[in-house]
Amino acid sequence: MGKYHLGEFEEIVLLTVAILKNEAYGIAIIDEMESRLKRSVSIGALQTVLRRLEKKGFLSSEFGEATKVRGGKRKRYFSLTAYGKKVLTETKEQRMGLWNAIPEFAFSS
Amino acid sequence: MNNQPPKLWLRFFRWYCHPDYAEDIEGDLFERFERQIELGNTGSAEWRFASDVVRLFRPGLIRPLTQKKQQQNQFDMFKNYYKVAWRHILKEKFYSFINVTGLGVGLTCCILIAFFVMNELSYDNYHEKLDRTYRILQAYKSGAEMATAPAAEEYQVWGNAPVGPAFKEEFPEVDQFCRFTPGHSKLIKVGDELYDEKNIVFGDSTVFDVFSWELISGNPKSALAAPNSIVLTESLAKKYFGEDNAMGQIVTYNKNRDCLVTGIMKDVPSNSHFTFDGIISMATFYDQRPPIFDWWGYVDFYTYFTLKDNTRIEDIKPKLDDLAAKYTADWEDSKFYIDVEPLKGAYLNSTAARQPGKTGSISNITIFAVIGVFMLLIACINFINLSTARSLERAKEIGIRKVVGARKSSLINQYLSEFFLLALFAGLLSLALVIFLAPYLKDFAGLSIEPSDILNIEFLGIFLIGIFVVGLLAGSYPAFLLSKFQPVKVLKGSFKSGKSGVALRKALVSFQFVLTISLIIGTATIHNQLDYLQNQELGFKKDQVLVMEFGFDGQIQRGIEALKDEFEKSPNVSSVCASRAVPGNFFPNAGTTIENPEGELESHSPAIYEIDPDILTFYDIKVLAGRNFSYNNYSDSVEALIINNAAAKLWGYNNPEDVIGKKFDQWGKTGEVIGVVDDFNYKSLHTEVEPLTLRYEPFSMAKFSARVSTSEIYSTIQNLEEKWKELIPHRPFTYYFLDNNFDLQYKSDEKFSELFSSFSVLAILIAFLGLFGLTTYTTSQRIKEIGIRKVLGASLRSILLLLSKDLSKLLLLSFLIAVPISWYAMKEWLESFAYQAPISLWVYLITALIVSALAFGTMGWQSVKAALQNPVNSLKNE
Repeated sequence: MGKYHLGEFEEIVLLTVAILKNEAYGIAIIDEMESRLKRSVSIGALQTVLRRLEKKGFLSSEFGEATKVRGGKRKRYFSLTAYGKKVLTETKEQRMGLWNAIPEFAFSS
Repeated sequence: MNNQPPKLWLRFFRWYCHPDYAEDIEGDLFERFERQIELGNTGSAEWRFASDVVRLFRPGLIRPLTQKKQQQNQFDMFKNYYKVAWRHILKEKFYSFINVTGLGVGLTCCILIAFFVMNELSYDNYHEKLDRTYRILQAYKSGAEMATAPAAEEYQVWGNAPVGPAFKEEFPEVDQFCRFTPGHSKLIKVGDELYDEKNIVFGDSTVFDVFSWELISGNPKSALAAPNSIVLTESLAKKYFGEDNAMGQIVTYNKNRDCLVTGIMKDVPSNSHFTFDGIISMATFYDQRPPIFDWWGYVDFYTYFTLKDNTRIEDIKPKLDDLAAKYTADWEDSKFYIDVEPLKGAYLNSTAARQPGKTGSISNITIFAVIGVFMLLIACINFINLSTARSLERAKEIGIRKVVGARKSSLINQYLSEFFLLALFAGLLSLALVIFLAPYLKDFAGLSIEPSDILNIEFLGIFLIGIFVVGLLAGSYPAFLLSKFQPVKVLKGSFKSGKSGVALRKALVSFQFVLTISLIIGTATIHNQLDYLQNQELGFKKDQVLVMEFGFDGQIQRGIEALKDEFEKSPNVSSVCASRAVPGNFFPNAGTTIENPEGELESHSPAIYEIDPDILTFYDIKVLAGRNFSYNNYSDSVEALIINNAAAKLWGYNNPEDVIGKKFDQWGKTGEVIGVVDDFNYKSLHTEVEPLTLRYEPFSMAKFSARVSTSEIYSTIQNLEEKWKELIPHRPFTYYFLDNNFDLQYKSDEKFSELFSSFSVLAILIAFLGLFGLTTYTTSQRIKEIGIRKVLGASLRSILLLLSKDLSKLLLLSFLIAVPISWYAMKEWLESFAYQAPISLWVYLITALIVSALAFGTMGWQSVKAALQNPVNSLKNE
């Protein structure tokens, strides 16, 4: 399997999309990240990453229904692809491996 | 409160954002903005919106710089339009034929008329100094009317010699002047050949400076400076010297003047108001008759002049009266008037008398332009009518196209392309027709169209634009109508062509009828009038008169009576007389004093006619009072005058008997009026008979008139020619028939009439072609109705009546509109004739009959066919 290293922000975005499950569209993702991580995110930064992840195949997206709010524009809902889940799990396992390899003392000092 | 995001930023976002992402990101932007608004911070909402937009401007989100070309199928679509159009044209051969022929013929006429109009408008435009070239007009008034300034028609272009030099001397604005004499018949001898030239003129040496006629060889400055020099046109040089170089050759004028050919010029273009075959230097004429160049009362010249650059004709005009008065101060009892008119447009606009050449007519141009527009309209109407009438046929196609997703605009495009294609075919047809007809037109209307006039960029460009406009004109209404169809209705089958379409069709057909009826009435009236003119009682017998000219030859004048006797002896010649002119020629005017009923001497300027005593009997002119001239009274050639009835009335004598024996004074003669003749039409029927005085003047004769019998004309002429060669060997034998010559005056009227009728016939043809197509279609629409009626027992007659009811109404309406319009227009046209054929009711009745017959005939053909059809055939398949 081709090695792809997720960036930190990419990983967070993927995780947030996973958390939101069926409700993951632009503003919802930003809100979720802001409330959980206390971190302000611009639409521009988020959208760039979303499109990149979609292009890489970690995310897929589809339009929702149009509503009266949002100037009548449809929402684009993102969801994780199987590949995306795999990459995310791999990343997590790598991290866990690293965590587990830390000697006890080093951490307590 | 404004809760719309800032427009400018939004626009900016939409401009840069990748089209695939734009919608949802814009939605996100809106959502954020709306949330801020709800929280009540408008200012911060807008601020954040702007900042988000700016921060969205990133490489991953903006549209690519080199946009990948969208796969456009425009070209294929257009190809498809034309393919469908072509198939449709082929499928409906009959209607396509009617459309293409009608439009093609209409366009042909339009092109020909356009060429005609352009040619008329191009007269004299080739002169480089046209804008500052003017003509001098002159008028002489005498007697009672002396003090009243002459009307525009009383001025004449033909005037005296000294006025030109006086202009140059008195007015610093004048650059050059140039005089011509008219091309009277001149005897020219080249080698041993004698020619009687009608169109060689005398001209000043400035001619090539004032006018832009091109000298092929010779020096334009000096060619006509010296006496006894002549410039020939190319064709005259060819006539005299063949292929030899004419320069430096000798041409003998008037038997005794050897003129040196000092220049060869290109033939004068046919679009010139004044044309000639050759110019002899004015110095030659001066040499012959020096005194007339100082006489302000001697008339034989056309004078043109150019202004210097940056001067205005308005500066000269106020000084004209003073100039006239200064040079004619010694005139008693008559007054000289001068006016000027620009050469530009003189051909069409000048109303002055005695023009040096032919003149055009603005009204004819207008009439033809109107006919051209009419024809195009009629052809376009055919187009519109047939296409809208047949729109039902294509309703299903339109429905399907719309369902599949065709937009209205693309349907319009499709139909317009079809009409453009038809218009293009019509255009090609008309080009072919124009090229084919051009040679005939040259003979017929004197209009020459060369292939190079047609096959050049300018013409073809204008032509294509014209085709485009016609296609748009004829096609836009049907195209918009067709594309408006609602697919649901059309495909469900409940579709009926709209009422408005029918009303429009009726209106257009009526309009065509109005045009057609007006054109027929016009043609009939014009023919009627010309017939009337030519059969009008002229007051003299003009038939079977052979005129032989000898151009004031002194030798002939001296032996004139003996010559007349000799010619009379010739077989088939019954009588011969001599005169200065024959009816239809020009008659000069002369200041004349005659005693009026009150016993006072009264002056007028009637025309004068120099004759011999035989002429009144020869032409069968009635003597109302007094007596004819007599050879036995020698004094008749010195102190006797005959006047016509119009002249008697001018001097106040209502009874012609009363003027006999009254004193007269005219051109060096004094004596008594000895006779009054009935008015005879010595000019043409365009004008009333004007006052005329007749003098017996043996030494002013220029023409023999011989009355010949109609049998064996050819041998009669041969005999006369042999006799002429025997008696007058030094002059060529030239002759013509008086009636032909007299009728030449109506030539332009006849030409006008012929052109008018041919265009009318074509217009009528196109209109009925359209009507034929339309009725064919409408009848076929009602074929089922007819079938059912027949089954129920309707007779042939009642069916025909039913079918023709609509048409009758339209015809009646068209008559009511067309008759007053054409009556008014023709009345205006007839105004230009002094003798007008009465506008007869017959013209209108016959027109009504013809148009109705044609219309019902056109329609009846189809109706009868439909009505006779076995109803089984039309009803069996549903």
